[in-house]
Amino acid sequence: MNQKPHEDQVYIEALLKNDSKVLSKIYTKFSYKIVSFVKNNSGNTDDAQDIIQETLVTIYHQAKEKNLILTCPFDAYFFLLCKRRWLNELKKRGNNRVTIVEEMTSITEEQEQQVEETEIFELQHQLFESKFKELGKKCQELLKATFKIKSMEEVAKFLGVSYGYARKSKSECMGKLTQLVKNSKEYHRIKS
Amino acid sequence: MQKERYIRFDRYLNNELSKEELKSFEEELKSDHDFKEDFEIYSALESSLGSKLKNEEEEIKLRKTLSDLGSQHLKQVENTKKETKVISLFRYRNLMVAASIALLIGFFLFNNGKPVYGDFAQHNSLELAVRGDNNYAISKAETAFNSKNYEEALKQLSILSSNYPNDPEINLYQGICQLELNNYVEAEAIFDEISAGNSSLSTKAIWYKALTFLKQKKFNECKEVLKTIPETAEEYQQAKKLLKKL
Repeated sequence: MNQKPHEDQVYIEALLKNDSKVLSKIYTKFSYKIVSFVKNNSGNTDDAQDIIQETLVTIYHQAKEKNLILTCPFDAYFFLLCKRRWLNELKKRGNNRVTIVEEMTSITEEQEQQVEETEIFELQHQLFESKFKELGKKCQELLKATFKIKSMEEVAKFLGVSYGYARKSKSECMGKLTQLVKNSKEYHRIKS
Repeated sequence: MQKERYIRFDRYLNNELSKEELKSFEEELKSDHDFKEDFEIYSALESSLGSKLKNEEEEIKLRKTLSDLGSQHLKQVENTKKETKVISLFRYRNLMVAASIALLIGFFLFNNGKPVYGDFAQHNSLELAVRGDNNYAISKAETAFNSKNYEEALKQLSILSSNYPNDPEINLYQGICQLELNNYVEAEAIFDEISAGNSSLSTKAIWYKALTFLKQKKFNECKEVLKTIPETAEEYQQAKKLLKKL
């Protein structure tokens, strides 16, 4: 899958570089549609702003970790992500009387796939984070240190333990976390 | 046994396994489904948490940028009635404005000391960020106005104003177009209407009314209008500057 990035890849790069000039175009060009969708479906401007921001942060993380290559126009991809996020949010709020005003977006298979990838990425991310929080304090601290500090020697020094002990503890904590994820319902749902 | 497994994962991901160890590791991946599943989760966790934690500070900075942009562009329309509205100017545009004012100071000397319209008519760029669905007309209006194609901008704004009949921002920009096209009567009528209302653009409309007189070299009328701009208004400083020159 060596696809050529769409020209709208600039928006992905702007997220990675925190380039506010290009990012402001996302707000001026693509956001009014999302705002009106949210407003037409029991939300307000603040809700829309949150939805837009969280969606962009998710895209940022996906780009950072998985080197996201956009193969379709940003507009439809972004709108669909925001729309689905808002519908989820409404479900969470227990609002069942949603009158979904359908926007005229024709979605290609490619766009659908790109949207799904981002959504799965986010679900996985959320699952990992919530399981991480179920770990004991010691494991959490140790893992935080290992991911933030590059070398394990320094991690050991930072924690005041031997290098061997730090390594061993790290893989043990990661093992515990692996089991927590593996035994969760969500993991099997994402996988299928 | 299990602990052993995770130590091997860790060493594998760190490229620390010997040739033989690597061979048996890869064989196990193929033959042992449970081993493979564990490894997939382990490495996904490593990559996900690693990326998240490493980029924590960057994420905070990005969030700051986004929430600033969000409030600037999305809330603008909603707050029109409550607060003074600041239409963002591109920074470089500000610099250009400053530079051109500096250049134009020279012209005052040849103009009997009277200021000219061009020195004061620096329009904020048109950015109708959040409106309904009339995307096409919005972007056409923006492009036309921002590239000083006032005739086209006026056309597009008229289309828009039929969708948003009482939108002071669209009205104001219609007025500016009329002024730029020297249709003084139309321009003045629009500015009067906006300044009579209670939108946050009402003082801006007064300022533009003053500019309408300035462009026609009706200096006394211009002065009188300028004097009605309250000290608290965003336009007060400009007004003061222009009054001084008159």
